[in-house]
Amino acid sequence: MTEPAPKNLAHEEAFALHVLPEVDVLYRVALSITHNPADAEDLVQDTLLRAYRSIGSFDGRHPRAWLLTILRHTEINRHRRQRPELMRDPDATMARQASTASTDRDPEDIVIGETFDAVVEEAFTALPDKFREVIELVDIDGLSYREAAEVLGIPEGTVMSRLHRARARIRRRLAVAGLAPRKGML
Amino acid sequence: MSLRRTNRAERKMNCMQVGRALQSYLDDEIDDLTARRIAAHLEDCRRCGMEADAYSELKRALTRRADRIDHEPMDRLRDFSRRLAAGDVPPEVGAENPGGA
Repeated sequence: MTEPAPKNLAHEEAFALHVLPEVDVLYRVALSITHNPADAEDLVQDTLLRAYRSIGSFDGRHPRAWLLTILRHTEINRHRRQRPELMRDPDATMARQASTASTDRDPEDIVIGETFDAVVEEAFTALPDKFREVIELVDIDGLSYREAAEVLGIPEGTVMSRLHRARARIRRRLAVAGLAPRKGML
Repeated sequence: MSLRRTNRAERKMNCMQVGRALQSYLDDEIDDLTARRIAAHLEDCRRCGMEADAYSELKRALTRRADRIDHEPMDRLRDFSRRLAAGDVPPEVGAENPGGA
């Protein structure tokens, strides 16, 4: 068929308008999901190609949410291709990751004389994956609770409770280190 | 009259209620009325104010981690998207049906 010239123009304008401003966020989120710069770059590239193909059917509302949905589906497909067993039971996978992540460190270890950022860093890396990923998406990547829920495929309330519990753990560690009020009477 | 009622509503939250909503408030994920009530409480309550300061500082420390990202992949992806936006589409993509996502 020879019809596409004007349609493609609109297609590309829409892509420039809705997708280009979100590329940085997509990469940050992809990095949070994959923990590997090369995988993150591949994931975003695949996401951009899928977005390009489907921009014609996008209504123009909430481009970030739309792109994050594509990114999530793309990541699920990539995982299926690479490690099929991981996708069968995401909860079991998460529990497994959590148990390995929190191996031999006691998050309440006493820390003396460390800077605020160093204590935050240490407490952050000691968190189980499911807690760390919500912090990455919201505090580091700048997503809203709803957007983070979309990326992870979990309810918004679950994002909120994991995030709050994760920060509370870090906050307790700061208190142990004398870098935050000792008793958070709240 | 309505002003007095609003002021009363803004002072009504107690420490426990504020504690439960504090992180959502700091994330700007809470409705305007509740946010005003929490802000009013934080002005008057030193302990809750300190708690809010602790979480704000904690959030800022986490946010600073974003600065560590290597910008080279991001630059490449920006270039890649600009090429797509300019119609420079890899042949296998152009050949596929729209709506693949």
